[in-house]
Amino acid sequence: MPSAGAVDPLAARLRLVGRALLVGTVVGLLAGVVAVSLFSPRTVRTVFALGALALGFGVLGWSGSVMAGRGIETMHRYMDTGSDWTEEKSRRAMARVGGAGAGVMVGSGLVDAVVTL
Amino acid sequence: MVSKRFVLKRLLLLVPVLFGVATFVFAILQLAPGDPARVIVGQRASAQQVAQVRTELGLNDPVWVQYGRFLVEAAQFQFGDSYQIAKGTPVRSVLADRLPVTVELALYGQAIGILLGIPLGVLSAVKQDSLTDHATRVGALTGLSVPIYWSGPLLILLFATYLGVFPTSGRISSTTFLPDHWTLFGMELPLTGMVTVDTLLLGDLGAWFSAVHHLFLPAVTIGVYSMALISRMMRSSMLEVVRQDYMRTARAKGQGAKITVMKHGFRNALIPVVTVIGIQFGSLLGGAVLTETVFGIGGIGTMLVDAIGASDYPLVQGAVLTFALLFTLVNLGVDVTYSYLDPRIQQ
Repeated sequence: MPSAGAVDPLAARLRLVGRALLVGTVVGLLAGVVAVSLFSPRTVRTVFALGALALGFGVLGWSGSVMAGRGIETMHRYMDTGSDWTEEKSRRAMARVGGAGAGVMVGSGLVDAVVTL
Repeated sequence: MVSKRFVLKRLLLLVPVLFGVATFVFAILQLAPGDPARVIVGQRASAQQVAQVRTELGLNDPVWVQYGRFLVEAAQFQFGDSYQIAKGTPVRSVLADRLPVTVELALYGQAIGILLGIPLGVLSAVKQDSLTDHATRVGALTGLSVPIYWSGPLLILLFATYLGVFPTSGRISSTTFLPDHWTLFGMELPLTGMVTVDTLLLGDLGAWFSAVHHLFLPAVTIGVYSMALISRMMRSSMLEVVRQDYMRTARAKGQGAKITVMKHGFRNALIPVVTVIGIQFGSLLGGAVLTETVFGIGGIGTMLVDAIGASDYPLVQGAVLTFALLFTLVNLGVDVTYSYLDPRIQQ
C-alpha cells in the first residue's frame, strides 16, 4: 500500500498528459474558430496539421527517448559534452508536446466537424 | 540469457515509434505546398480532371477522416502507387528494389566502423598518452568533424581519379550480368538485391570482387564517422573500466596485463559502445543519402530526396516509415545484445 503523501506514478503521468491535452484542446478550438472566421473553412485543416505535427514530434521524441535515451545519455557522458540532457526530462517534455498536439487536433477537429456538417 | 518479456516490451515500443512517424509524415504532407491531385494529373489537366482525382483520393473528406484513413493504411504498409518517380508502380515494389542498396551500404559502413573503431579505442586506452593514443584521438576528432559531402569527393579524387585503383560510381562492373534469381536444389529463389550477397549466392567470384571493389569507397566514406565515434567511446569506456577495483585485483593476483584487459575489461567496456552503435546506425542511414548521391548509387535515400522534390507523396510516406522501422529494429537488436552483455538492464 502506498505511504501517505506518496505520488502514484501513473496518476502523475496521466495528469501531465491530461493538462497538456486540455490546454491543446482549448488552443485548437480557439485557433480553429479564428481560422474559420477570418480565413476560409479549409484553413482549419492547417491548424489540425500543425497539431498532428506536434503530436507526431512528441510521440516520436517520447518513444525515441525511451528507446535510445540511455545510449544518448551514455554518449554525452563519455564524449564529455557537458550536457545535462537526461532521458527522464526528455520523456516528460515530449509527453507534454505530444499531449498538447493531440489536444489541438481534437479542438480543430471539432471545429472542422461543425463546419463540415 | 535474454528474457522474452524484455524483448516483447521493446517490440511493443515499435508501435508508438511508427505511429509518431506516420503522424509526423501526414502533418508534413498536409502542410507542404502543392496539390497531390494536380501532381498526378499534370499541369495541363483541366480543373474537372483535378476535381475527379481529388474525389478519388478522398482529399475532399474532412481532415480527421483523411488522418484516420492514412493511419489504417500505414498500419497495413499500404501506400498505393508512386505518382512520379516510378509512375504507376506500387510503392512496396519500389521500396523492395531500393532498400537493399541502402542497407548494404550502411551495413558495410557500420562493419568498418566497428571492426576498426573498437580495436583503435582499446589500443588508445591501453597506451594512454602515448603517440598512438594522440594519433588515434586526432584521427577520431577529424573523422567526426569531416562531412560526407567533402570526404566522399576527396576519396574519389584521390583513389579513383589520381591513383585509379577504385571506380568512381556504380555498384558493379557494367559488363556483369546478374539474373533475377538463384537456384538452390533445383528451386528458383529471388535475389536479395545486395550485390555482394547475390554474387556469392550465384557463385560468381569475379562479379563478387567487382561488387566489393565498387562498394569499398562508399563504405569507407560512410564508415569513417562511425569508426571515429566508436573509437572515442571505446577509449573513454575502457579507461573507466581499467581503473575499476576488479581489474586491479586481477592484476594483483598475477594475471598478465593483456589477459586482464581482454578477459575482464573488454566485455564491460563494450556495454556503452553497443548502446551507441544502434543510434549510430540511424545516422548511417541518413548519411547514406549523401553517400549514394556522391557515388551515384541509387538507394532509398536518393529516391527519398527525388520523391520529395517531385511531390511523390506515397513514396515519401513509404520511405520514411521504412527508415523508421529499420531504425527501431536495429535498436531492438542492440538492446538484446546489450541485455546479453549486462543482464541487469532487463530488470
